[in-house]
Amino acid sequence: MRRTSESRSRQILDLPLDVRTQEKAKADKAPCVEEGRLATYRPDGRNVQRFLALLSKRMNRRLALSMTGCVHCGLCADSCHYALVFPDDPQMTPVAKADRIRKIFKRHMDWTGRIAPWWVGAKRPSDDADLNELKNVAFGLCSACRRCTFNCPMGVDTAGLIRFTRGLLTSLGIVPEGIFNVSRDQWDTGNQMGVSEADYLETLAWMRDEVRTELGTDAVDIPIDKDGCDFLYVINPREIKFDPRSIGQAVKIFHLAGESWTMPRWGWDNTNFGLFSGDDALGAFVADNVYEAAARLKAKRIVISECGHGFRSTRWEGYGWAGRDQDVPSESVVVSLERWLREGRLRVDPSRNALPVTFHDSCNIARSGGLTEEPRRVLQRVCSDFREMTPNRTENYCCTGGGGLLSMAEYRPIRLEAASIKARQLEATGAKLVCTMCHNCIDGLNDVIKHYNLDLKVVQVLELVDKALLV
Amino acid sequence: MSPFLNVLENQVQLICLAFMAVVYVLRLAWILHFRPVRERGLAQGDAGRGAGYALAGVALPGAMESIRRKPIFYAQFLLFHLGVVAAITATFIIPYAPGLFEKRLIVLAFQIVIGAACLAGILRLVRRLSDRRLRAVSRPDDYLSILMMILFFGAGVLAVPNHPRDGETALIAFFILTAFFLVYVPFSKICHYLYYPFIRFDLGRSLGHRGVWPPVRPGRECAPPAGRPS
Ligand code: SF4
Ligand code: SF4
Repeated sequence: MRRTSESRSRQILDLPLDVRTQEKAKADKAPCVEEGRLATYRPDGRNVQRFLALLSKRMNRRLALSMTGCVHCGLCADSCHYALVFPDDPQMTPVAKADRIRKIFKRHMDWTGRIAPWWVGAKRPSDDADLNELKNVAFGLCSACRRCTFNCPMGVDTAGLIRFTRGLLTSLGIVPEGIFNVSRDQWDTGNQMGVSEADYLETLAWMRDEVRTELGTDAVDIPIDKDGCDFLYVINPREIKFDPRSIGQAVKIFHLAGESWTMPRWGWDNTNFGLFSGDDALGAFVADNVYEAAARLKAKRIVISECGHGFRSTRWEGYGWAGRDQDVPSESVVVSLERWLREGRLRVDPSRNALPVTFHDSCNIARSGGLTEEPRRVLQRVCSDFREMTPNRTENYCCTGGGGLLSMAEYRPIRLEAASIKARQLEATGAKLVCTMCHNCIDGLNDVIKHYNLDLKVVQVLELVDKALLV
Repeated sequence: MSPFLNVLENQVQLICLAFMAVVYVLRLAWILHFRPVRERGLAQGDAGRGAGYALAGVALPGAMESIRRKPIFYAQFLLFHLGVVAAITATFIIPYAPGLFEKRLIVLAFQIVIGAACLAGILRLVRRLSDRRLRAVSRPDDYLSILMMILFFGAGVLAVPNHPRDGETALIAFFILTAFFLVYVPFSKICHYLYYPFIRFDLGRSLGHRGVWPPVRPGRECAPPAGRPS
């Protein structure tokens, strides 16, 4: 399965900048574009200047340390699925990808690079073509999984540098179409799939009715904007649009656990494309919607549905982007599940999940969220044949759809080629079900399973708990 | 000892050392002038423990997959850096505590450690030259730094017996290289050790705060859930 083509990265680096959807957004007078919150590409020859100005303005200590701390030891190379699948392509290593921004930093901000650029490989981008190439590296050859960060003896956060680079390019409109489109939706509708309030409320009502029918009681409810509940439940828009079953499962479980909870009319999207696009302003806007909803409704805590980047953004990064200290506690719904199981508030029969199950740790949850044991404890209670994947927890491989890559169709072929590592890892478990607590990973893993013809089905923790429930 | 070697071992080293100290202070001031980043979410773990784990990483070869899979690389890393410490120590012993190098055993110990580091350095250079992925990211600074370290170690092995009467070439070479490094290091990648504690501390604090580090170790992970069985 190892690829030897060293020109594979070249094909990606040469992909052009497509601005058709940006033009459409301008023609549609999209509010975020009109108000300057989402940048569009300006071919006026001044993008390099703008890029360098933003680089200086946004640099922080953590990034500066990662820029300066790399010793070019190359140890990170074998931690990256791209580099592992394309061992003969030097551009696929994390250090080579990070060096694309590092050389600009060195030339623009570091002493040695300014005095003797050739000596340390420091170089500014010359024109928009160089910036476009940088876009293809930052968005197309990295799923921001952070595996390399955890394998760098210096502690260089290559994924952090990639996100920073993405953010600079997003501010110039030099972005893949998918990133632009989803950002636009999230800016203008408050959720990344452009779900209208009517659709949102209608789907919730539908799911409530389904659960009422299933449990045979009208006591089941999805309270909207209810004050003073124990928790505010926030979800991934994918659940409304493509997978409302997960909402039904949650509703049923919350009811059986006897919880007092609510969902907000506004501020219900736990996902955050700012994490992927590197746009801290978008990150702040989306995260703040959730925090404000919790404050408005005086919720005692925020419970985040099964979403990897949603969990990372809402639980951790959002407070930094929004510039506020966390006041309302928050947790993943899997943590809630584990507690209710432990307290005996949910009764389950593991034999109802008899097929062998393995667990895929989402990068954002395991490497950036500190949540690895709770899902395992839940699975061990509700499944009769749980098998670990190797490697696992913070060492797990990305589903390969992370970093927003699922929204960028132009990088799909190389993403799936790089996924051969994941396919092998999944196959080796011998499991029939792969469980993940991330909606993004569901799509990423489904792509891998389909592409490599694996005999596996992707499930989520809520689904397995629901199946094991003794009602 | 010739007056040249005397000046080289003393005044020149002190001037270069002072220069390095000044540039290091400026370097640190430069890095610290960037806006710090802090975690604003409620803690799930212990930032201090995370930082401790991150800083101890250098002594925990099992902690990182990249190192776990390359034990020989780790051994080279250890030898190389032990050699650095020994060679730097020698630059102070020779002018300020020469009596120590009158003991044959101590000289031999230094020669073995520095010699092993020299060998590790050669292997590192070979690796850098032969691995095309490493070549692709290597700059003149990367090559010169390792090359000069190899020469420094080589000169160090010959210099530590500290017998200027038998010829000063090795001592002169050793101290010229020391002076070179004192001036060059703050501008080269070798100054990574200056940044190392800051990078690891920062990353470790963040991951410790989130409960990611220290990680769950195999064997202790996934304890059976407490509470009533269902
Ligand atoms: S973050 Fe992941 S995909 Fe990106 S370079 Fe690092 S290991 Fe590779
Ligand atoms: S492991 Fe770290 S120091 Fe080594 S090349 Fe990769 S990023 Fe640089």
